[in-house]
Amino acid sequence: MDFTISPLNRMIIKAAKEFNERVMPGIDAYMAEHNDYPPYLIELYAKHRMLGFNVPKEYGGLGTTNFNMILLLEELGKSGSTSFIPLMMNNSIGETICHWGTEEQKKKFVPPLCDGSAWATMAFTEPDTGSDPRMLMTTARPDGDDFIINGSKRFISMVNKPGYGIFICKDLSLAGQKTDTTAFIIDKSSPGISFSGHYEFTGLEGADTCDVFFNDVRVPKGNILGKQGQGYSILLRWIAGERIQQAAGMVGCGQRAYEEAKKYSLQRIVAGKPMGMMQGFYWQLAEMKVKVEACRLMVYKAILKQDAGEPFEVVSAEVKVFTTPLIQEVTRTAVQFHGSYGYSKEYLVDKLFRLAMHQGVMASSLEINKTIAGMSALMSKSS
Amino acid sequence: MNIIVCIKQVPNVTKVSWDADGSLIRSGLPTIINPVDKNAIEAALQLKEKHGGKVTVISMGPDQVQEALLEALCMGADDAIQLTDKAFAGADTWATSYTLGVTIEKIGKYDLVITGVEAMDGNTAQVGPQIAEHLGIPLLSYATDIEVSGSTVKIKQKLGDVSRLLEASLPVLITVEKEINEYRVMPIDKILEAFEKDIPVWGADSIPADVVNLGLKGSPTRLRKVFSPKLEKGRVEMLEGTPEDISRQLADKLSAKFLI
Repeated sequence: MDFTISPLNRMIIKAAKEFNERVMPGIDAYMAEHNDYPPYLIELYAKHRMLGFNVPKEYGGLGTTNFNMILLLEELGKSGSTSFIPLMMNNSIGETICHWGTEEQKKKFVPPLCDGSAWATMAFTEPDTGSDPRMLMTTARPDGDDFIINGSKRFISMVNKPGYGIFICKDLSLAGQKTDTTAFIIDKSSPGISFSGHYEFTGLEGADTCDVFFNDVRVPKGNILGKQGQGYSILLRWIAGERIQQAAGMVGCGQRAYEEAKKYSLQRIVAGKPMGMMQGFYWQLAEMKVKVEACRLMVYKAILKQDAGEPFEVVSAEVKVFTTPLIQEVTRTAVQFHGSYGYSKEYLVDKLFRLAMHQGVMASSLEINKTIAGMSALMSKSS
Repeated sequence: MNIIVCIKQVPNVTKVSWDADGSLIRSGLPTIINPVDKNAIEAALQLKEKHGGKVTVISMGPDQVQEALLEALCMGADDAIQLTDKAFAGADTWATSYTLGVTIEKIGKYDLVITGVEAMDGNTAQVGPQIAEHLGIPLLSYATDIEVSGSTVKIKQKLGDVSRLLEASLPVLITVEKEINEYRVMPIDKILEAFEKDIPVWGADSIPADVVNLGLKGSPTRLRKVFSPKLEKGRVEMLEGTPEDISRQLADKLSAKFLI
């Protein structure tokens, strides 16, 4: 497997760094003031052509690799900003519709996700389940040429923003069958949809994640993504990609935490010399650096499998299992380097630490990924 | 509207370090597009987006200048031409502007030539005006705004505390100030497209130039010496009195040392 960073890859990284330096501060300032994403955020990403990486050009995408996208995400992750989440979502939902959708669906729903006129959403989680499709309570009942959706979804990102979402529902027309979940592409401004206010998380400041309620929401049958009964499969494939993207962002978060710790350990003078000159600190720096690098290589391996068209669900789970505790540890160590300052919101490491915590519980929990990876290892005939 | 932008690759002086003698350490110094030249590219791209046409970027320098041209393509320029030849080496501003001017003549049809006001390594602000002179077209310098309407171009010119509105008929050469715009972050689609493009390399044989006007041979300027001012330790003298007294004392002392 070739992990070489090509001149093209380097230029994408350079553009991402420039975006971090020149554009991101404005986004973060808005989010700090309004506790929400800027309304123009998706348009801004579209203007910089950061949407539709793995979407063919004919549907408004860039027609390039997921590898290029995770290089971008790693850089954006270094900012500690929450704002990379909508970018991930528009990219991954566009790719998902291209993978499962009909030609008509691709033409209708994908271009707005690439040109910045629609915010994407994926919705599975409900008050009683985050991963078990048998526990879904949101129902889709057939009615003529439509389905009627009722129920609620929990912790849904960008669901209150205009655009389209993929919603996984219990399909009442499949009652009694082994797989009874169906994925629907739903216009989030459809009559009958309402939202809660958004959750305040430990990290992810400004994220607009909230609950969404469906009251007799009518959706045309033509909006079924894939086939009826494939809802859970669509979710699993989507979230496998999302996990790798999330991990790429967290590699950036860990890298920045390491860099901040290094910088501080050279600035802070203890007993007449920089704190970092003490063995206790530079040993920790060495560990932080190699942990982040190992996570990066794991992410590269997973994304290259996805780009090669190989199955990537298990390796994606392994990425979560491997990277989550390591990046969390690196950011925690960075806080510790800074002493009381690190526990203060004045310092970036506090934000990075809180951001890293989201990886263990969002885009599937660490534990469910241990189950996926562990069961796969157990059942695999190879070593 | 066909626009030609001349850019220069310069050392990134924000990352410069000096050796113990105070000399600039040049080896391994990263290079960048002269910052105000990025504003020139941006101005050209904005005009193209408004009026259509094509943006061609040219730069003279060693092989590594291709990196700067590639970045210009990544910003959205349509074409780039690299001018590299041993015969171009050691050019002063006159020989540089001659070479660029001849190149522009070879490219042919153009409506506008845009350059940054000056390069951050030389700070002469001479190349742009000299290209205009060579081409025999009007010069609109120190632009902080450009407006094209039909065959007329208007600029707002910044001259210290004075601003002027200037107007000329196309074609013209405009030198731009950094205040003219915020240059764009390279859009990902343009990066992908740029790597599909070739950047042709033109040497002295590729342009209709008289070789006696090229490089060091064609440069009337002779650089005698480059040195870093020597740092000397001195005595601090505190001046006392009213602000007016202090100002007067300071002026007298500087005058006595022929510093003002």
